[in-house]
Amino acid sequence: MLKEILKEIKDKKYISKANIASKLNTNENVIEQAFYQLARMGYIEENNMNSCNYKCSSCSFASLCNKVPINTIIITKKGEKLLNK
Amino acid sequence: MNTIALVGNPNSGKTTLFNALTGSNQRVGNWPGVTVEKKEGNFKFNDVVYNVVDLPGTYSLGSFSEDEIVARNYILKGHPNVVINVVDATNIERNLYLTTQLLEMGAKVVIALNMIDEANTKNIKVDIKTLSQKLGTPVIPTVASKRKGIDKLIDEAVELINKDIDYKANISYGENIDKEIKSLKGLLSKKNLDYPHQWIAIKLLEGDEYIYQMLNENDTLKNQIGNYELEIIDKRYEFINNISNLTVKLPEDNKETLTDKIDKIITNKFLGLPIFALIMFAVFELTFVIGEDLLGGIIGTGIEILGENLEQLLIYLSSPIWLVSFFTDGVISGLGAVVEFIPLILVLYMLMGFLEDSGYMARAAYVMDNIMKALGLQGKTFISMIIGFGCNVPGVMATRTLEDKRDRMIAILINPFMSCGARIPIYLLFISAFFPNNGGLVLFSLYSLGIIVALLVAKIFSKTLFKGEPSYFIMELPPYRLPTPRNVLRNMWDNVSEFLKRAGTTILIVVTMLWILAILPMGVEPYSQNSLLGGIGTFIAPIFEPAGFGTWEASVGLFSGIAAKEAVVAILGMIYAGVEDGVQLTQAIQTAFTPLSAVSFMIMTLLYTPCAATLGTIKKETNSYKWTIFSAVYSFVIGWIMAVLVFQIGSLLGFS
Repeated sequence: MLKEILKEIKDKKYISKANIASKLNTNENVIEQAFYQLARMGYIEENNMNSCNYKCSSCSFASLCNKVPINTIIITKKGEKLLNK
Repeated sequence: MNTIALVGNPNSGKTTLFNALTGSNQRVGNWPGVTVEKKEGNFKFNDVVYNVVDLPGTYSLGSFSEDEIVARNYILKGHPNVVINVVDATNIERNLYLTTQLLEMGAKVVIALNMIDEANTKNIKVDIKTLSQKLGTPVIPTVASKRKGIDKLIDEAVELINKDIDYKANISYGENIDKEIKSLKGLLSKKNLDYPHQWIAIKLLEGDEYIYQMLNENDTLKNQIGNYELEIIDKRYEFINNISNLTVKLPEDNKETLTDKIDKIITNKFLGLPIFALIMFAVFELTFVIGEDLLGGIIGTGIEILGENLEQLLIYLSSPIWLVSFFTDGVISGLGAVVEFIPLILVLYMLMGFLEDSGYMARAAYVMDNIMKALGLQGKTFISMIIGFGCNVPGVMATRTLEDKRDRMIAILINPFMSCGARIPIYLLFISAFFPNNGGLVLFSLYSLGIIVALLVAKIFSKTLFKGEPSYFIMELPPYRLPTPRNVLRNMWDNVSEFLKRAGTTILIVVTMLWILAILPMGVEPYSQNSLLGGIGTFIAPIFEPAGFGTWEASVGLFSGIAAKEAVVAILGMIYAGVEDGVQLTQAIQTAFTPLSAVSFMIMTLLYTPCAATLGTIKKETNSYKWTIFSAVYSFVIGWIMAVLVFQIGSLLGFS
């Protein structure tokens, strides 16, 4: 399933965990967990655009910052290698 | 004493269950050698005391965090008589990953299917009997917060303690891996180990560093065995999926299908951009309809009344003329000019909050990402640009998430072209003076121009100053959701309160400083061209002559905008109110500008030098004075060129 998810990420223009779940006949919670595993094993890198290394609580501009995090994902070289296997 | 270990995912209700079991009989300490908190307690059942150990909340039992190692070591080495695995009934599939690992360990497990009431409310149906059969463990539905199911859970746990059963997980990892496990078990049987051989074999195949170190095995064994981590995890998911497909029935979620359908249109290659433009246009139009037509004038009238009363009070108190002038012409006229636009700003941020909370802004970023990719630019830049719409400072800071230095420099340098909230009062002032019937269109055009200039400049930079290939990434689109009033109102309040805070601090300081310059030297007519402020403005003004606003007042306004953009309106308010009492700022603007020069002035304020706070952030992020000065100068030049082009071409075309 993990490789299939990786393939889905690679093939699609954007990621919708709900779409992937429906395609792989599972649910979004499992996909969420699988993304965590893929990131932990170094096949993907998840990046939240709000993670600017500043704690919001100590940032005077936090109230003007993005409230809804936009996640982006990069397939790492390790991930690409797995897909090419 | 018999010991029961409690293990579960974070937020599964494990601590609530621990409290329900042990009541006040608890001790808190630390696990040896680590900073992880250890909670123990006990309870009496049928005159027997049972010790309960609350293990750290964790999603898996690997060796990636102290919590995971503490939990798994306790289960394997602490030899609890039974493990209660707390599983969140509303999120069973995710929680079963940990359960699977517990079963692999050969632990005696009872599952507390917690928060079953919430699962029922969410219409999640669980076939508990089949779930128990498939997992080979008792499954007891509980609601720990209401102490429901606790007695039955204790019953089952105690029964299991007294049973002499050797638990084995019924998971196949595929023919090859199963063979490897078998052969490794053979090798391990010669060693005297604390842990179950089957489990160690799986861990070795997963490449678990902790186990390799524990066994004192070198890289040779590792190379011989190979790494099957991905395959093993995959099989665990397969096992979970098979069970959950049989036992868990989630409610039909039409929202996802709807999200799909909407996304097909909204993120369409050809329709995406026009829809984005249309939505933004509607937002700006609505801002004027609600903010100006319905709420407009409320604050303005309030400020007028406040100004009159304050003036009368100061005169009544025999205050010196300069003090009366400072408060009425400086503070009230200056700050009042900025604060007057709050109703419009409130509405704009309410609508923007609505878009953010609905999930649309992620789609907007995706649509723009495609355009940026087509231009050979890093699409992720647009996310920092969207943040820049609120304020350029967090916008510049958000570029930190761009890994490539080239992408990052481009993103930093173009972010100030995004029209931040502080510039809105300037546009609103000029719109109310010259384009009251086309406010939405003007605002939309300015925001669009900012984006277009940013994209063009980014393209030029990527071909000249920062050559290279853009990195590739994929964006996650969250499902659409109905915006909650709480989030929308919070977004609105955050922005407006920040706006008011700045008006009361930065803008007040700028106004005070410039007010002093406007009344000096002593004896000069205040707010006149002969004042120090007038002198500065007169010196700068010729630069803006070709752009159609070469007056000392406009020049001073732009100059003060480098301190803070809102200051432009504050200074114009102060100067024009000081020149002619009783004249509304909009009327004064109508006399000093023409519609064409108003447009070129707005374009200048959109594009020229960023404010001091943004420049400071650029210095901090680039760690370079060179790039900070470059940012200040090149944006000024671009703003000036655009303003001049608009004014000159407009004049040639017969506009005035």
